Amino acid sequence: MGKTLFEKIWESHVVVEKSNSPSLIYIDRHLVHEVTSPQAFDGLRMNNRKVRRPDLTIATMDHNVPTNDRSLPILDQTSAIQIQALEKNCKDFGITLFDISSPNQGIVHVIGPQLGITLPGSTIVCGDSHTSTHGAFGALALGIGTSDVEHVLASQTMWLEKPIPFEIRVEGKRKNPHAVTAKDIILSIIKNIGTGGGTGTVIEYRGEGIEDLSMEQRMTICNMSIEAGARAGLIAPDEKTFEYLRGRKYTPKNYESLVDTWKDHLKTDDDATFEKEFTLHIDDIAPQVSWGTNPGMTCDVTESIPSPDDFSKGDLNQKKGAQKALDYMDLKPGTPIEEIKIDRVFIGSCTNARLEDLIEASKVVKGQKISSTVRAMVVPGSQMVKKQAEEMGLDKIFTDANFEWRESGCSMCLGMNPDILSPGERCASTSNRNFEGRQGTGGRTHLVSPVMAAAAAIAGHFVDVRKMDLN
Amino acid sequence: MKGNVVKYAQDNIDTDVIIPGQYLKVHDYAELATHAMEGLDPDFHSKVKEGDFILSGKNFGCGSSREHAPIALSHSGIKAVLALSFARIFYRNAVDGAFLLPIEIEQDAYDGISEGDEIEIKLSVNEIKNITKNQTYKMKPFSEIIGKIISAGGLFKYKPDQD
Repeated sequence: MGKTLFEKIWESHVVVEKSNSPSLIYIDRHLVHEVTSPQAFDGLRMNNRKVRRPDLTIATMDHNVPTNDRSLPILDQTSAIQIQALEKNCKDFGITLFDISSPNQGIVHVIGPQLGITLPGSTIVCGDSHTSTHGAFGALALGIGTSDVEHVLASQTMWLEKPIPFEIRVEGKRKNPHAVTAKDIILSIIKNIGTGGGTGTVIEYRGEGIEDLSMEQRMTICNMSIEAGARAGLIAPDEKTFEYLRGRKYTPKNYESLVDTWKDHLKTDDDATFEKEFTLHIDDIAPQVSWGTNPGMTCDVTESIPSPDDFSKGDLNQKKGAQKALDYMDLKPGTPIEEIKIDRVFIGSCTNARLEDLIEASKVVKGQKISSTVRAMVVPGSQMVKKQAEEMGLDKIFTDANFEWRESGCSMCLGMNPDILSPGERCASTSNRNFEGRQGTGGRTHLVSPVMAAAAAIAGHFVDVRKMDLN
Repeated sequence: MKGNVVKYAQDNIDTDVIIPGQYLKVHDYAELATHAMEGLDPDFHSKVKEGDFILSGKNFGCGSSREHAPIALSHSGIKAVLALSFARIFYRNAVDGAFLLPIEIEQDAYDGISEGDEIEIKLSVNEIKNITKNQTYKMKPFSEIIGKIISAGGLFKYKPDQD
C-alpha cells in the first residue's frame, strides 16, 4: 500500500520504534527563542550536558522584544533579562543567534523559511506552537514545550506517538483571490472542523485550492493547523517550494540534487489512505471574521453574530462557551459583522506579517487615512521583510495613512511586550488566536486577513473587501 | 490521591487563560502560580489547596506550547486535571515534567462530579471515586510508556534502557 507524505518523512526519521510505544524521532533543525528556552539551558548546565548539534540549532529573539526604537534600552527588566539569558546561552553553547540588532532577526517562523533553514522532507521543532508554519515546505514541523526543548538540545531527538494522517482537501477557485485569502481558507476550515477537529493528527492540505497558493500563503494555512488542534500541518513541495528556497543564506550547496530526490519522493502516493478526511470548497467562500474567543467561533463578513443556540447545534458546552464569549466580546446575537466598530488594528504575527501580506494590505491603504477613532500598527514579521517593504515604499503608504510602522517581533499577537490592548479595546488582528486576554487583559480580538484588517482600519468597522478593487 | 475538585464546566480552556502571556517572563514558579487561571478565574489562587484537582470539558490546554501552563497549575497545588479531552502539547508538557496528571474522563464523571466534591483517583484500577456522592467512574488508562514516565518522575528521570 502507498504512503502519505507524512508517513514517508516519519519513517525516514525514526531512530527507535517499538510496537504500542512512542518512537524516537531524529530532529533535523531546532529553532530557539528567548521565552521557552531558559529553563532548558539551565537543565543542560545542571546535568553537565552539551548541545549535541549546535550546528543544527538556530536562535532568535522575537516574543518579548520591543517593536519601537531599537537604539533605546529595553525598559521592561524581565524582558531584558530573558533576552540577555538567550545571548549568554547561545554564546556558552555555541549556537548561532540572530539578536535584536541583526538584519536577520524576526519571528522565528518567518526567518526560518526566509533564510533557507526550513527544508522539504525535514523534521523541525521549536518551543512554539506555531512551528506548524514550516509544514508549508513539506517539512514535519512540531511545536514543543521546554522539557522537549531540553531533550532535543541534549540529544537531537524526541519521542513522539505517531500522529494520525488527516487529509484536508481544498477544492475549487476563489473568484477574487485578493479579497478572499489564505487566512479566510484556514479560518473556514477551523470553523467547520472545530478547534479540536485535528487533535492527534498531522494534516496534509491538498487540492487545487492549495496548489494555487504562493509559498507565503501556504505558510498562513499551515501556521494555523495548531488552532484546529493538529500536531502539525503540511503541504507537498512543488516547483513553487523549490524556487522559493533557491539561493537563500542556508540553502544547502547540493540543493539541485536534493530537489531531484524530493520531486520523486516527497508526495503522497496515489494509493495511500488517510484515517480522516475533510473537504472545503472555496468557489464561494467569503472573507472571515472571528466573533468569539476561539478561532472556531468565526463567520462570514456578510453574516451577523450567531445566537448561542444557533452556534451550538444542541451541544450544551458549546452553547455555554458561545454565551461566555459573547459576554466577553460585548456582542449581541443578530448584530451584523459590518456594524462592529473597532478601536485598534494589528497587522503582524507569524500568521500574516510576510511581504505579500503587507503588499496586499497596502493596496487597501494607499491614498487613504485610517479612521480618527482607530489606532493601527504594522509589525513586519522580520527585519528582512521590513527592509524589502521599505524598498518598495510600503512603509510610506502605511505611515501616510497614519499607521505606525514598527520593528519586527511577535508584538501584539500575544501581549508579552508593551504592544497590548487596553481592557475593553476591540482589535481587528491578523494574528492567530482570539483567546480571552491574549492581546492584553480584557482586550477583544477579531481574527481577520491583512486586507480585512486594513479596510477595517480605514472604515473604523469591518467591511467586505470584495466590494473593493484590489487588483 | 485524594482531593477536592475545582470545576470549569466548559470546553477549550486555553493556555492563555491558564497563564497569560505577560507572565511568561516570570521564572519563579511560586510567583507564576499566583497568576494561574488568572485569565478565567482571578480567585483561583486563593481558593485552591494543595492536592486539589481541576475538572473540565473538551480540548483542555489548547493553544500555546508554553510549559508554564502545567507548571503554574502544579505549583498552585493541582495534582491532576480531569478533562473530556486534552490538547496534545499541554498533555505532553504535563507528562514530560511530571507536573500533574492529565486524566481523560468520560461524560459520566464530567456530569457526576461537582465543584467542591472530594474525589479519590485510583490509578491502579483506573477508577475515580466520588467520596462526596459515593459514585465511581472509569478513567481512560495511561498508555504504558506515559505511565512509566509519570512513575519515574518525568522525561529526564525515565530510563528506557531499563525496560
